[in-house]
Amino acid sequence: MSDRKRRAVVIEGVRTPFVKAFSELLKMDTIALGDAAVSALLERTEIPRAEIDGIVWGGVILPGLAPNVAREIVLDLRLPARVEGHTVTRACASGLQAITSAVHAIERGDADVMIAGGSDSTSNAEIKLPQKVVHALAPLAFGKATPLDMLGVLGQLVPLTEVLPKMPKIAERTTGQVMGEAAEDMARRNEISREAQDEFAVRSHHRAAAAITSGRLRKEVAPVHTPDGRIVTADTLVRADTSVEALARLRPVFAKDGTLTAGNSSPLTDGAAAVLLMSEDKARALGMTPKAAFRSFSYIGVDPADQLLMGPALAMPKALERAGMTLADADLVDMHEAFAAQVLSVLKMLGSDAFARARLGRERAVGEIDPARLNVHGGSVAIGHPFGATGARMVTTMANELVDADKETALLGICAAGGLGAGAVMERVT
Amino acid sequence: MSDFLLELSKNPTTRKLIKTVGLPVPMPPVLRRAKGPMEDRPLHDHQVIYGATSGGAMASACALTLARAGADPWIVGEDALRLPFVEPGEAFGRPPRMLELTEIPDRLRANALLFDATGFEDPDALHSLYEFFHPLISRLDAGARVVVMGRPAEAAATPRAAAAQAALEGFVRSLAKEIGRKGSTAQLVTVAPQAEPRVEPVLRFLLSRRSAFISGQPLHVDAKVTWPQALPTVRPLDGKVALVTGAARGIGAATAELLAAEGAHVVCLDRPQDDALASQVAQRVGGSVLLADVSDPEAPATIVRELVERHGGVDIVVHNAGITRDKTLARMKPDKWDSTIDINLQAVVRITEALLAGPLRDGGRIVLLSSIAGIAGNMGQTNYAASKAGIVGYTRTLAETVAERGIAVNAIAPGFIETRLTAAIPVMIREVARRLSNLGQGGLPRDVGDAITFLSTPGAAAITGRTLRVCGGALVGA
Repeated sequence: MSDRKRRAVVIEGVRTPFVKAFSELLKMDTIALGDAAVSALLERTEIPRAEIDGIVWGGVILPGLAPNVAREIVLDLRLPARVEGHTVTRACASGLQAITSAVHAIERGDADVMIAGGSDSTSNAEIKLPQKVVHALAPLAFGKATPLDMLGVLGQLVPLTEVLPKMPKIAERTTGQVMGEAAEDMARRNEISREAQDEFAVRSHHRAAAAITSGRLRKEVAPVHTPDGRIVTADTLVRADTSVEALARLRPVFAKDGTLTAGNSSPLTDGAAAVLLMSEDKARALGMTPKAAFRSFSYIGVDPADQLLMGPALAMPKALERAGMTLADADLVDMHEAFAAQVLSVLKMLGSDAFARARLGRERAVGEIDPARLNVHGGSVAIGHPFGATGARMVTTMANELVDADKETALLGICAAGGLGAGAVMERVT
Repeated sequence: MSDFLLELSKNPTTRKLIKTVGLPVPMPPVLRRAKGPMEDRPLHDHQVIYGATSGGAMASACALTLARAGADPWIVGEDALRLPFVEPGEAFGRPPRMLELTEIPDRLRANALLFDATGFEDPDALHSLYEFFHPLISRLDAGARVVVMGRPAEAAATPRAAAAQAALEGFVRSLAKEIGRKGSTAQLVTVAPQAEPRVEPVLRFLLSRRSAFISGQPLHVDAKVTWPQALPTVRPLDGKVALVTGAARGIGAATAELLAAEGAHVVCLDRPQDDALASQVAQRVGGSVLLADVSDPEAPATIVRELVERHGGVDIVVHNAGITRDKTLARMKPDKWDSTIDINLQAVVRITEALLAGPLRDGGRIVLLSSIAGIAGNMGQTNYAASKAGIVGYTRTLAETVAERGIAVNAIAPGFIETRLTAAIPVMIREVARRLSNLGQGGLPRDVGDAITFLSTPGAAAITGRTLRVCGGALVGA
């Protein structure tokens, strides 16, 4: 149990603009995106660099030659060499995992000041050579290869079809199912209609657009200077002008007679987000104003062959239980929107007595979530979803919202590949 | 030992060729068997069509079973029939859909048909069997399952009800013959009143691929044996100790592997001269070896001592060891008679009695190996058939006496199984024996092992005192 005095608090969060993959941020890999987010955070908070103990970074598509992105960020930004860095990966919950790890380190007294966040650049995913090629090339990689070795290597590389690199795709390793297919399955099995999904997506876009127009999101988005000299200042995926009618015209992408479209799914996105965390005492000593703290975290797995993205329906109730709360006590709810169908499926499960009895061992449903409290500034469907960054984006938005709207608590829920679900309860620090 | 026709059948090219040329060769279906240990959802994404008549008692048990096992239910009949399926459907994301038999979607291929006939009280009701199955039977996927649920005819309140219930067995046995050519099977489950919820583990087994070689059989579900507190769906035998006799090869070895895959510690018993083979099996399954000749009068004491001292007791006993000493009765020497009766029946009785008096824990399972020869009789097997028929009787009565200890006792009667025993049969007879079944082929040792493993699980408390045939629907003794 963490003692009240050693509470880890959120000081500030900031992110890069979230942009469509293979567009403005094409030239920035996940490390460069991380550099951008962390340096913006350093600038905004003016945290003395000497105070930082370490960086925890979340990422899904990690660079093969430098997988410890956190340490690379420390080195790129010329932070003091003693600032440690480690990288965590928990699929789409990686960003929240990075924050969880930092909170735990602070609350155990292993660190005082941590930067946690995550980034991903789908544009810079590496194409993997088949293992057969790797093994065949071994004689060339070690020591001096003789011409005979080279011939041998060539011999092993036929037939060519077996050695062509495979395009990366977001498919489950155990089931081979692409994530969109899994969400399509969930829409069918939980009877989520195309109309409901489109309506949800439109609301996500409209809310995000309103937050951009009002300047609400500006405080958490910092402009990025790209290597080719451009300055990217704002999210590019949010569409203020979209409508249910416009989305209804899109064709299903994962199944012929399906209901998931590009309009009601989260897009492939490049971006990064970073959060500054420290112990409450340290914050006071440094004269910084904490915004929020965490009451609980919960991570849980489900069988990926069943309903791949239902994890939050188990993790969110668990997080509430650990925080000693009910759903009704949560003033705000923020859920990662991998697909509108997935969020709506999870909402249906949370609202079902039958689900609660069979899957949670409770008599009554966890509860309905009032749309007015849910994803108040939109979510991943509209804003985009750089896998490792989403958790830190959500924590940032909720920390600010607790302060701005003068609320007490916020519940977070994230679904992730591999059948993982994540939940967390945040509370305002005054 | 390999089945030449089955090999041809497995090859799509030869299969097509033989069909096109129109050769009068019965091509046996390639059976789909389960892979790996038991799954949480053995019916994942299976399309199961459910029908019932009014007064049926099985709807809620079936609804829960299907949703938990991962099946998509289609309901045929009145709208009210859908109700019990709604809550489980919501909990597991398997909402029921109504199916009109006059407008079946073109693409729908059923993995299973499930019919609740427990409400049949008059032969009039039999018409609903025709109504349900007639349009659906052509919509079965290959390797599909048909299960009809009824009441035991013996317990019927009126002669009319008995007629209607007894009719189900004839229907199922015949249907199994019609659909066997595509590797599909049909069974009848008779359910005693008050035992309805116990049908879940039985249906999970019968509707899954683990029952691939069981065809046209009746199974009885009752509430005699104390129901276990927990029914784990995966690794149901975790923490259990299982004794398998004759574990060095064939059915015994396959059973040892399957039991171990479900979490049991398997004690592999075989004769001292089979030490090498038995040890190999034990090593493969992470179990122990116990060398003893079951016919040795000292064997029961040795087995009891070993189980108590090294394993603290035993939960599952599989009496698989057995011999054949075939000769017509007129030519049979007394030693052939005696040794067969002794090993196949008397040793089983002696060992069981010793285990019941000592190491066999309450809630245990006993599975005995009978044979279809014991049910139907066989030329040259007076001794063998007598011993195996004796097992059927022993099972029936022993079950009654140990039910209150929570122990279930059942027998398995294998048909033609591809083992060392059947490989020794002359070619022509062997070929005929293989084909004379609904599925047109011999079974594998693991088919028998799958049934034994099912009867060893906690959920098998639903069945006791019964003999289950694993014979592919053999035409003899049916």
